[in-house]
Amino acid sequence: MSDIEHVYRSRWFEDIPVGEFHVFGNHTFGEKEIIDFGLAYDPQPMHTDIDAARSDLHLGLVASGWHICAIWMRLMVTYMERYATGVRDGRRNGAGIGFQNMQWLKPVRPGHNLTYTYEIVEKPDKVIKDKWGIIRSRNEAYNQYGELVFSFEIDILAERRPATEVAKFQAGDSE
Amino acid sequence: MQYWDDIKVDSNFKTGSITIDAAAIIKYAKDFDPQPYHLDPEVAEKSIFGGHCSSGWQVCALMMRLFVDTLRREGIPTAGATGVESLRWYAPVFANDTLHATIDVVGLNRADQHNSHGEMHCAVSVFNQLDKRVIKLDTCMLVPYKPEDAADE
Repeated sequence: MSDIEHVYRSRWFEDIPVGEFHVFGNHTFGEKEIIDFGLAYDPQPMHTDIDAARSDLHLGLVASGWHICAIWMRLMVTYMERYATGVRDGRRNGAGIGFQNMQWLKPVRPGHNLTYTYEIVEKPDKVIKDKWGIIRSRNEAYNQYGELVFSFEIDILAERRPATEVAKFQAGDSE
Repeated sequence: MQYWDDIKVDSNFKTGSITIDAAAIIKYAKDFDPQPYHLDPEVAEKSIFGGHCSSGWQVCALMMRLFVDTLRREGIPTAGATGVESLRWYAPVFANDTLHATIDVVGLNRADQHNSHGEMHCAVSVFNQLDKRVIKLDTCMLVPYKPEDAADE
């Protein structure tokens, strides 16, 4: 295991620095997947019907905003799992609790390729159930023209360093 | 048909309901959120969620389905959402839960960037069959203005 991998795998809340920035994946949206998602979850004409979409405000088929979110999740899971392999207690970050300021800024059309990024922007001073801290990240996606098309801030739980680990750390014996 | 001009602040809508089964949870998880507590009911029993639960993003998507079906029922044409000011996940959604939602119109603004559509700001809550709230969000939909030649009802 490389040192870098080890650092990422074993990080507690306290070890995740504000300002850290990741480009964590990219995805090309296909026409069929846009329509399939639209039919299942967001059956507005601009997501499901190529002909009707032409006369819509969006001037053609566009991906549902919740599809753009779903791909965000898919890429994030893939990215995180790369660092979690072999950690018996799983990743030490947990569920999302909420998000804010989500904006769908530009249409995402068939063939568009989005690159997703996140930056740790804040660690709100709260302890949840004696165990978790909150990591707030700003997430963005850019299309192949370099235009910002999607952004939001999400709050995700990360496990705080337990007291036993703190004692080891203070004794200079941390992993 | 109802247009932006016909909708009032404090208008509210109750959606229909939708039941999500294990197969639908697993399908979405395979496509978009392949974490063990969404993919595998047995593993999920022992997870922090205590049962086989859907991706939080799938709950958002199901909310959208309830929302879109309701607007169609009400005869309100839409042109999508511009964003979500905030959203919170309050409780997991488990296999075979039945969800419904309430939609409250909290604001109506003319949209600067469009001549044809106005903003409809909504507070939306999704509940399970026990009326426990699972998510709450504030979102903004674009709704067309009434055309000049539309018949008055």
